[in-house]
Amino acid sequence: MNPRQTVGPLTGLRVVELADEKLQYCGKLFADLGADVIKIEQPGGDPARRIGPFYGGVPHPDRSIPFWYDNTSKRGITLNLAASDAQRLFRSLIQRSDVLLEARPPGYLPGLGLGYEELSQEHPRLVMTSLTPFGQHGPWKDLKISELVSMALGGPMASCGYDDHSVPPVRGGGGQGWHVAGHYAFLGTMMAVLRRQASGRGQWVDCSIHEALSCTTEGAAVAAMYEQKPVIRQTGRHATVTPSAPSQIQCADGRYVAGVGWLRVTDATWEQLVAWLGRDGMAMDLGDPRYRDVAVRAAEAGHIGEVLEAYCLTHTAEEVFRGAQALGLTWGLVRSPYEVVHDPHSQDRGYTVRVEHEDLGQSFQYPGAPYVFGVSPWGVRRRAPHVGEHNEEVYCGELGLPKERLTLLAEYGAI
Amino acid sequence: MAGGQVFSGLRIIDFSWWVAGPHATRILADFGAEVIKIETKTPHVYRMNGPWRKHGIALANQSQVDSPNLSGTFNNQNRNKLGMALDVKDPRGMAHLRSLIALSDVVIENFSSRVMESWGLGYDQLRALNPAIIYVSLAGMGHWGRDRDIQTMGPIVQALSGLTWMSGFPDLPPAGWGYSYMDHLGGYAAATAIVSALYYREQTGQGQWVDISQTEVGNTLLGAEVLEYTVTGNTRTRNGNRLEHPAAAPHGAYRCAGDDRWIAISVFNDQEWQALCEAMGQPEWTRDPRFATPSGRVAHQDDLDRFLEGWTCSQEDYALMELLQGHGIAAGVVQNGVDRFLRDPQLKERGMFVTVEHPEMGTSPVEAVPIRLPEAPATYRRGAPLLGEHSAEVLSRVLGLTPEEIGMLAQDGVI
Repeated sequence: MNPRQTVGPLTGLRVVELADEKLQYCGKLFADLGADVIKIEQPGGDPARRIGPFYGGVPHPDRSIPFWYDNTSKRGITLNLAASDAQRLFRSLIQRSDVLLEARPPGYLPGLGLGYEELSQEHPRLVMTSLTPFGQHGPWKDLKISELVSMALGGPMASCGYDDHSVPPVRGGGGQGWHVAGHYAFLGTMMAVLRRQASGRGQWVDCSIHEALSCTTEGAAVAAMYEQKPVIRQTGRHATVTPSAPSQIQCADGRYVAGVGWLRVTDATWEQLVAWLGRDGMAMDLGDPRYRDVAVRAAEAGHIGEVLEAYCLTHTAEEVFRGAQALGLTWGLVRSPYEVVHDPHSQDRGYTVRVEHEDLGQSFQYPGAPYVFGVSPWGVRRRAPHVGEHNEEVYCGELGLPKERLTLLAEYGAI
Repeated sequence: MAGGQVFSGLRIIDFSWWVAGPHATRILADFGAEVIKIETKTPHVYRMNGPWRKHGIALANQSQVDSPNLSGTFNNQNRNKLGMALDVKDPRGMAHLRSLIALSDVVIENFSSRVMESWGLGYDQLRALNPAIIYVSLAGMGHWGRDRDIQTMGPIVQALSGLTWMSGFPDLPPAGWGYSYMDHLGGYAAATAIVSALYYREQTGQGQWVDISQTEVGNTLLGAEVLEYTVTGNTRTRNGNRLEHPAAAPHGAYRCAGDDRWIAISVFNDQEWQALCEAMGQPEWTRDPRFATPSGRVAHQDDLDRFLEGWTCSQEDYALMELLQGHGIAAGVVQNGVDRFLRDPQLKERGMFVTVEHPEMGTSPVEAVPIRLPEAPATYRRGAPLLGEHSAEVLSRVLGLTPEEIGMLAQDGVI
């Protein structure tokens, strides 16, 4: 089934995304769910297009791979908001849209006469979402962040790292700061859209990256609120108030198994675990009946860990992972993100999708649906737009601008 | 103006017990959804998780915990929800549950992939009860595919999806995430699916099943990395706190004065580098020609980081953040939970920690939701439900059972 011909759950919703690196993941969530997302970039293209790696290895605004990923299913137009003619076009585009997503510093759009107050006067049903580092007000509202700094201030980073505290805390890879915030911006926007069905009016959603991350730290927040204690980062496992036993073990093939735990297992599962190790003669003394007592297992955690480590050192991580899972033990395998693409289970589910890049005469395999909708599918409707690819389609075709005007606007840099 | 909240009148049957599902329904409950948690009469282990509090007083250890209603962790995750404790193995318990589903909008569950089917509550049966139902399943590997039986928790999903592998320093084992990041993000994906399916249902009247594999969600959060691989064949590994695209240096976490205190700093261009040099008072080492250009700083990051940390390590973290921000540099303290709860002036100003009333715990802190809808704000109406607190109330109000019928169910141990 070609997803372009199918209807996503948000089909019919029109979203304008004012380009910004922090915001494009949020726009992608809308676009792949079927909303018509029109991305407005500055003439020449958004700076995010200059972020590599690039297809072909040479910088090119239409060949940034991260840009490709974050801008699937969108249409792209260019506009210089500071040009006065441009503002008329912007307003008429907003008139025809349900949602405006923006990530300019607080005060920037009102400074151009394009704040929520002005826009909503002309279009009371407009839902506008502003995604900023700290929100629209507060003592830190004008501070500068990077994705790294957002993960530091917001809290995720303090919980991640190694037992050895001479090594700095780490922020997990992949640009998660923008992903977390993008989800909350999406949810806030959709709530305002749903609210509008009942109230007839839109509203301005103020979304803070800092707050979104601060609500994405699990136990760190609870330990602080209830005990005023920090959790302490540990290698490959939960940060806790009091240290816990290691749970990530390297196997014979150099790979790691994760979540290795045995304390909580039932006595029956413990017996199975011992029998499993015993099949290779590697149960050591764990068959001793005294280990049937959970308190003894807790007290002997160090020794049990050594026995398991020895077992892992003589088996591949995949063997250990599968063997443990077969016993009902919730152990995992540390895989690279690339393995997921080739994983037979992913293929059973049809996880990855092919996206045509007809401009390059190629198609590429993209990560697929985060959620499989039974009736109205998620889908990549089209590759990321080139710079200004839909200028004519949107300005002339939908806003009725004569083609000559478009040429003129391009000449003096308005689009 | 419509009264009430965004989700007033929306009823969600929530079978999720750990973190991912409850995190999704927490967001919806904050905005007025009637979330009915379905639990067993024996408390789930998550209900017993510390830290604990009783009538406003912290309990130091688990031996003092004499009730399944004292967990701060559970309270933070389940405020605003209703709770039913039900024996679903009793035919009457199951019959009432089915009647309740018939009168609800959404069913969400977070079990391993065969539980609902084994209860006779797979999507086909749910749809027979309620054709417009929105059903969200949220298992580690999804509900179909050859590995659907793999059991996961947050850290296992992180391991399998590639997130663990992508976090840490290249010359060290994976650091992973020091908490269940994917329980949060799995929850956000589920909430995203629910609001999108609700929008679709408003347009078409159709409900549907949305199946979510948390492992796939995790992999989409590394989408740019995966796409680089499928497009170019190039793989990259974890790289600490550095940034290759766009190349930036210094870009890392640097030790400050005090016990395990760190600051994150990102410098993207010459202007910011000059500002950093000025903030440091132009020490001799900054004039090293190797550091004169962006590419030089990136190429000699190890030395650059050492020099920079030689300067940061004697400074107080928040004062340093203020100094650097004053020079226009993205810099932020690696804040732990206590920093955020007690010190962070931005979170304080914006009210990101609130309290709820709880009958056994007393007035108790919870995180606010980071979504600001001025026209229909979130409310914090009550603490987490006591085990079975609303069994009778829901049976009476929603299903119209008489006090005698309810008394009989209680007497027979069904509720």
